[in-house]
Amino acid sequence: MNLGTRKLLDRSFTALGISSIVIMGLMLLVVLVPIVSNGIGAIVFKSTIEHRKMLYHEFNRGDKADLQREIASSDASRKEIYRMLDTFDAELSKMDETRQQEYREKFEQVKNSLRALLGPIPGDEEPALARLKYGQTRWEKAEEKLHELLFEKKWDYSNPDEMAKEYEVSRSASFEGTSLVRLFPYVEKNIDRLLQPEWTFYWGFITDSSVDAHFFGGIWPEIQGTLFLAVGAMLFAFPLGVIGAIYFTEYARDGFLTSLLRSANSTLAGVPSIVFGLFGLTFFINTLKVSESKSVLAGSLTLAIMILPTIIRSSEEAILAVPKTYKEASLGLGSTKWNTIIKVILPAALPGILTGGVLSLGRAAGETAPIIFTAAVSVGSAIGLADVLSSPTPALSWNIYNLASEHEAAAEIRHVQYGMVLALMTIVTLLNMSAIVLRARISKKLKG
Amino acid sequence: MAKFRVTSLVVSAIFLLVSGGPAEAKNGIVIDGSTTVGPLAKSFAAYFTRSRGISVTVSESGSGNGAKSLINGTCDIATMSRSMKPEELAAARSKGIEPVAGVVALDGLAMVVNPANPVHSLTKQQIAAIYKGSVTNWRQVGGPNARILIVQRESNSGTQETFKELVVGKKVHIAASAETQASNGAVKNRISLTKGAIGFVGLGFIDSTVKKIAVDGVLPSPETVRNGTYPLSRPLFMVTAGTPKGRVQEFINLSATPVGKRMIKELGFVGTR
Repeated sequence: MNLGTRKLLDRSFTALGISSIVIMGLMLLVVLVPIVSNGIGAIVFKSTIEHRKMLYHEFNRGDKADLQREIASSDASRKEIYRMLDTFDAELSKMDETRQQEYREKFEQVKNSLRALLGPIPGDEEPALARLKYGQTRWEKAEEKLHELLFEKKWDYSNPDEMAKEYEVSRSASFEGTSLVRLFPYVEKNIDRLLQPEWTFYWGFITDSSVDAHFFGGIWPEIQGTLFLAVGAMLFAFPLGVIGAIYFTEYARDGFLTSLLRSANSTLAGVPSIVFGLFGLTFFINTLKVSESKSVLAGSLTLAIMILPTIIRSSEEAILAVPKTYKEASLGLGSTKWNTIIKVILPAALPGILTGGVLSLGRAAGETAPIIFTAAVSVGSAIGLADVLSSPTPALSWNIYNLASEHEAAAEIRHVQYGMVLALMTIVTLLNMSAIVLRARISKKLKG
Repeated sequence: MAKFRVTSLVVSAIFLLVSGGPAEAKNGIVIDGSTTVGPLAKSFAAYFTRSRGISVTVSESGSGNGAKSLINGTCDIATMSRSMKPEELAAARSKGIEPVAGVVALDGLAMVVNPANPVHSLTKQQIAAIYKGSVTNWRQVGGPNARILIVQRESNSGTQETFKELVVGKKVHIAASAETQASNGAVKNRISLTKGAIGFVGLGFIDSTVKKIAVDGVLPSPETVRNGTYPLSRPLFMVTAGTPKGRVQEFINLSATPVGKRMIKELGFVGTR
């Protein structure tokens, strides 16, 4: 090959390498930026007075005097709205039958939009569900609801041979000539005074339980459930995995049985996680009956089986990476085999073993399929340490799925879902970081 | 230091195993089953936990799973959007469980399409024809020239069973082109995103992102479900192993209390009494 071609090939390979790294970096940005920015929106956001009312009533948090002052100033503006509604109601009853019918339905829509924006209208029966007790707690949602109050969404069905197109009609136009027409510009103009938005740092999103199926409040039960499950899985899998690795590297003789065990271990590492989930259900819950229902215990055991092969493999690698001279020196000085393993080999292999362990911990925290049937529920309160043996728990990975698809009002509470995604990512990242730090510290100590 | 940590972990694990013990009485209520009854069960659970201090957990994995959990004794209440099948009853009895079903609310099975779809009414026969695959274009039922995307639920779903029973017939196969979604929420989401789609969800899941259509000329609403004029309505059940006792009974009876009735109404379901 002549020198020119070789140089060209070399350069083009470098370019290819760099571009693939750049693409990977961009992909990471595309994925991470929305996750982080949307996720932070669950904690730092512009809250309305309804958020502060909710905090005070549901969590008994916030300054009563301050809140009352705010409510008073907001109510002063709200009174005008409710007065307009009453005026129109009176006007409506004086209209003739056909016009009354025409307006009645539209008026009901306006009232419902107002309820969504500001909470129950005075004179309404007290709602049983917390989601209906308050107006919009988040400013960006409130702006959406305001738009829905000002404009009615309609579909143009005039041509039955085509799919309809959406268009918007100003509601004030449809109430032209009545007293209610004043309401819309009034609400639009005074929305700041009605809802009193201000920037909030809602730390309770991390530490509170949810109120009314994740409509309000936080995600503490999910975070706690995730930690319980991951740590529980580790308690079972880590000791077993390390012992297995010691057996493979130090005791097992090369032979048919050992190679069978090894390949069984590798196969187990490649089994899809849903299979482990179903296995956990039939074995731990239905056959062994480790608990009467789904439970953290059953979930942890299932996750433990799932991460066990990885822990065995990484521990094995770590033990094999310990220089042979260590072992020879120890045995040569008259130490027993057991002593050598405990005092010489394991400490030297510890950084590698721990890294594998913590990486598996991260995987256990993020898995959904194994816990669907064995541990996770969509609603439940935070459980105490005493309940892990018998109680199921909500967990981040499962609840993200639940909020994304099953929840009856998924579109209303996207921010909660985003917050959960960020929380799960943060937990897994922190675990991985701690693995790196731990490894560095232990290696340093061993060298020192 | 590291050694100490590892030892303390192991010790605490052993301590945990010993201190709890599987014999310890179960202190909460465990609910599993229908995604349709989900919103109701979750709201009841939140109320019950708050007012009584008893923890209630709710899973939404489908009516079929709820029945299985009840038969295996892993839940206290199975929420179901259909009644138990004979084979499920037989399986339960062979394990010495006598399932007792209580109706907590009524629900309409609402047929929904994308709001862009001008079709606003179908007959039961037309819906059956669409799901059997003999009608594939909206033009054939008085709509625009667009392919129909059929959305159904998974076999585990009580909503699916009820739909088949009430509309197409129990033994009839639904067209192979039908798309399967795993929950009411997922069906709603799919239909709000696809102009030619048709599907069915519980009445409590309807919002402005989808359009409910009249069946045999009757629109689904709490009123038409209550007075029986809407043809696709069904009861929603909470099933227990044996006659419910104590706190489980109290939980189920929530549906007859004023506050329970309010929750049922606010969630878009229909109260029974």
